[in-house]
Parts: sequence; C-alpha cells; structure tokens
Amino acid sequence: MTALLELRGLGKDYGARAAVAALDLDVAEGEIFGLLGPNGAGKTTTISMIAGVVAPSRGHARVAGHDVVTAAFAARAATGVVPQDLAIYDELTPRENLDFFGALYGLSGATLRERQAWALGVAGLADRADEPTKTFSGGMKRRLNLAAGLLHRPRLLVLDEPTVGVDPQSRKHIFDTIRALRADGMTVLYTSHYMEEVQALCDRVAIMDGGRIVAHGTIPELLAGRAGAAALVVEIELAGVVGDDAIGAALAAAAAHGEAARDGRTLRITPVASVGAVIAAVEGAGVAIAALRTHAADLEAVFLAHTGHSLRDG
Amino acid sequence: MLGAAIKKDLLLLVRDRGAIMSLFLLPIVFIAVFGSIFGGDGEREPLRLAVWRAPGDARGAAIADALDGTGMFAVRRAPTADRARDDVAAGAVVAALIVPADLDPRAGRPAELVIDPAASPQVKGPVEGAAQAIVARAALGPPPGGDVAAVVARAPPGVRDPLPDVSGFQVAVPGNAVLFGFFIALSCALSFTEERRSGTWRRLLAAPVARWRLLVAKLVPYLIVGLVQFALLFGIGIAAFGLQVAGSPLALVALVVATVTCATSLGLAMASLGGSEKQLGGIGSICLLVMGLVGGAMVPRAVMPETMQLVGLAVPHGWALDGFFDVLVRPGTGLADVWPSVVALLGFALAFVGFGALRSRRLLAG
Repeated sequence: MTALLELRGLGKDYGARAAVAALDLDVAEGEIFGLLGPNGAGKTTTISMIAGVVAPSRGHARVAGHDVVTAAFAARAATGVVPQDLAIYDELTPRENLDFFGALYGLSGATLRERQAWALGVAGLADRADEPTKTFSGGMKRRLNLAAGLLHRPRLLVLDEPTVGVDPQSRKHIFDTIRALRADGMTVLYTSHYMEEVQALCDRVAIMDGGRIVAHGTIPELLAGRAGAAALVVEIELAGVVGDDAIGAALAAAAAHGEAARDGRTLRITPVASVGAVIAAVEGAGVAIAALRTHAADLEAVFLAHTGHSLRDG
Repeated sequence: MLGAAIKKDLLLLVRDRGAIMSLFLLPIVFIAVFGSIFGGDGEREPLRLAVWRAPGDARGAAIADALDGTGMFAVRRAPTADRARDDVAAGAVVAALIVPADLDPRAGRPAELVIDPAASPQVKGPVEGAAQAIVARAALGPPPGGDVAAVVARAPPGVRDPLPDVSGFQVAVPGNAVLFGFFIALSCALSFTEERRSGTWRRLLAAPVARWRLLVAKLVPYLIVGLVQFALLFGIGIAAFGLQVAGSPLALVALVVATVTCATSLGLAMASLGGSEKQLGGIGSICLLVMGLVGGAMVPRAVMPETMQLVGLAVPHGWALDGFFDVLVRPGTGLADVWPSVVALLGFALAFVGFGALRSRRLLAG
C-alpha cells in the first residue's frame, strides 16, 4: 500500500489541553478514508494540521511525501480542502469564486478556464455559473464549496463534514461526486459524525474520540473486532414511570452484558451475545420493559463498544 | 494571485451597498451640508441690522450709511425705536442700533445696541465692534492724526498667507474626506472578520501562498479604494463646490497617499483585535468618529481650546487635516511644507502595522 497521507505522532495542544493526542495513520492512494467521531473529537483540528492551517504541536504529517511544515507549499498544493463552513463568497458568482480560488493555486488563462468548466460540471452548476451565489440553495452552495476545493485537482481531497444541512438530492450528488473522484484516482479523507455516511462511503475508517484514534480498519474489520462478527445491538425501552435511580440500576445490570448507554428512557447495549440474559438482568433490577429492538452491530455500536458512549453524545 | 485577490475584494466592495454609502455617498452629503453651514461660497451673508434715528438727524443717517457701507450688514431703517427693539426680539434682525438725536457719549448719552446677550460670538463680535467704532467716530470725530492703520495683520514666520476668500468647502471637503477616509479601516477590518466567520480565511490559509502575501492581498484593495475615495471627494469638491487647491498638487497627492496608507494600516490593527462583526462595527465606528472629532474633521481644531488642539495631534486625523488645510488654503504650499504631516501619518501607519504584526497569531488564525 502506498500511503498518500502519513501521520506520525501528530498532535495539537491548546494551552494545557491536548485537542489531538498523537495520531499515527496511513491513508492509501486512491482510497476513501473516513474519520468518524462526535463533535469535539479532534477531527477538524486533525484536518487543519494536514491542510497546513494549524501548526502541529508534535509529530508530523506528510501529503504525497511532502511534510506539511517543512515543505508546506508542496504539501498544500497537493491537498484540496473543503471546509465544514460554506467557505465561498456569497456576493460573487460561482465563476468569480473559482477565478479567485484557482488563482490561489497558480491557475490562470486556459488552464483555469478548463479546470473551472470541469469543477462546475462536477458540482452540477455549469448552467448557473454566472448567477449570484447568494441566490443558491444550501445544497448548491455546498456543491460550489466542493468545487472550490477540487479546482486544482489535488491528490488528496479533505472533506470536513461536507453534507451538513444539505437536502437528500445534494447529498446524493456529493456522494456520487466523491465516488467518481476516487475512480479517477483521487484520495479522499472524509470526516463526519454521521455513522451512516461513513459506512456507506468509506473503504476504511478511523474512529476518533477525545483527540485519539480508538479504532481503525475496514468496516468489516471494525464490525468483527470488539463488537464481534455476530454481535447484536439491543435497545430496550423502559415501561411505566421510572425514576433515575431505577434506570441507573437497570443500566448497571445491563452493563454486565456489554457496553450500555442511556438515551432518555431507552437503554442501548452492545455487543450482546445473549438477548435473554440482558432482558433478565434489566428485569432483575426491578424495571419493566415496554419494548425491545435488536439489530446487527454497526459503526455506532463499534463506537459505543470502544468509548462507552454514543456518537450522538458528542 | 495578487491581481485576483484585488479583483475579488473590489467586486465584494462594489456589491456592498452599505460600504458604498458610507465611503462615497455619505461624505458627499456631509460636505454639502457642512460646507454650506460654514459659509459655502466664502462670502458671508450680511447680518441683518435695524437702525433707528430721529427724523432729520444727520449724524444718525451717517451712522446708518457707514454701517451699510461695511458690507457686513444688511441695514434696515426702523420707523420707531420700539419697532427696532421688537424686530430684534422677534428675530427679524440680529441687532438694532438706536441713535438718539442728542447723541453724546461723553455726556452719558450713548447710542443703544439691542442684541441678545446669548447671541453667538460670530454675531456679537462684528456687530459690537463695528457699532462701537462707527458711533464713536460720528459722535467724537476722527481720531487725532487721521485715519491711519495702527495695526496691520501679518502671518508669522514660515506660515504662508491664505487665499483671500476661504469658503466653507475649503474646510468641509478635507474634513469629511479624512473623517470618512478613515472608515476604510473599518471596511478593511470587517472584511477580515467576515473571511474568518465564513471560513474563507481557512481556505486561503490552506493555499500554497505565503501568509504575508495573503495579508498584502487583503490590504491593497482597500488602499486602492481609499485613493479612489479621496480622488472622488476632492474631484467633486473642485467641480461642484468650488474647492481650490492653493498649494502644490504634488503635496496634496503625498498627503492623500500618506492618509490612505495610514487608514488601511489602522484596518489591519483593528482586524488583529478580533471580535465579532457586530462588536467591530459598533466599537470601531465609535472610535473612528471620536478620532475624527478630536482630530478636527467635524469642527476645525483652530477653534478648539488649546488643550484639545494638542490632543488632536494624538490621532492621525489631526496631522492629515493640518496638512490638507495648508495645501488647500495657503498658496505656494509645497511638499517641503507638509512633510511633518506626511511623516507623522506614515509613523502612525508603521505603528499600526507593528501592532497588527505583534498580534499576527490572532490575525492568521484559521
């Protein structure tokens, strides 16, 4: 495997707080790699260091063999960043936006025109290229945000939560685009706190929590790992009027059979080998069960198994 | 890259109606209003004055004619003394002079000047001065030795004589150009804040471009807009309001360049303070208005108390306006005469850039 992105002991401190501890990670050329974690896990700080926006406190990152600190310009030229924010100029047209962002990467003249046409086509905005961006829907702006990061055809495309607030149609368009770019050989680093997106899109995933990578591998590897290949997720909805003490007792009882988390009156336990044992434990704690659901373990379950809390808790 | 960055920021500015209003239209309105208030055409409107004299009183008639002849007053002959007093009370005239037939100041029978004690010094001074001198001459005769100039006004060494007629626009145009010219600092600082808020600044920082080039690329468009703003305001001043450039155009250009450089540098310093657009917009506007007020952009420093005149030199506005006044009002003023203002403005600019550089971590933070 040729690593296009290498992280070695990469970390960032803000004062006494380590936003990112010390990451070791390789992303192979041509793969879609997911960085999954709740808000505050350190995903954005990590990609900010990779993009050269934030200086690392320790370790190093290399993009296409270029160190992001000592060979910053070469590393940045090889990287395309699509920030979480809509980092485009609302008052300009898409073409004017791309004129400017292209110039930042040294594009001009016929090359700029050709790349502009390509990026606008990829974003599905070719027929709206000269309209003010401020009149666009959120999904169209997201697509222009993506086009601005693609314009210079980077070897590594870094996408930070690119689907926040978009409609299903634009989400599908963005997913199709990412897959097509990968098919053309582009490497994609995709961060999200949406488990379903990462599961649907990525070849490999690293799960981040508290500034650390707690697990990484292909999705089958992760599901077969701590969660267990045949493991189940059990969701138990408690019946009647139940006090916090009783819910706490039920949670403690369930925790003997897997990582247990509470969401209101619902307990979520994973990985679970025996559903009957969980039911007995909860009822043994003196709490009635109103409803019970089971499903195969997913990344959410993997996250819970590794961190002891839900992705949504972030 | 620089050309694309300049084009981008100029497009954003041109499409920002609020910025266009505050940088271009508002100063033109202010110039028109302030210039007219301070004597638009350079010739003051005569003060309305009523005079009453007893029928057949030749000395009284001579006094009324003499007041008329000064050109400072529009003299109206009142039919009765009471009518003259009532006219002052009603505001129909600013003052009334009542000349008794037996006028004799030495014998305790002076003329009566009816004027509101709360009238402004600009009204009281000329009226009282002229009435005193003309009545004294009529009642007591010419001074011994005849009419000779006992006092002649001369400019101090190193100060050139001003134009014979200084219109209100000679003060209002540079005053408002400087006041609103420094608002380019706020536009510039807000532009940094907007880039940070929207995330475009992170995108710029991720590009293979040196940080200092990004900063220069952000400042140059505002430098250009500032120069256009001054050119436009002075141009309109000349074409529409009869503004005269008494001194060297080269000195004027040097002052404009130094002022705009200073204002843009102030924008960098303000941007480095951080804060939200709302905070920067509110606090920044107040600071710039106070600086303009203290520096004499709204009321000339020359009419301020001595302490305030000195305080005015603590802000760049004061230095800029000193220079502009000399170039616009004193014929023969050249580059050598305005260098203290130019150097002071560039010194302020250096200090602002230094301040911004010291806080560059905040400025360059993604």
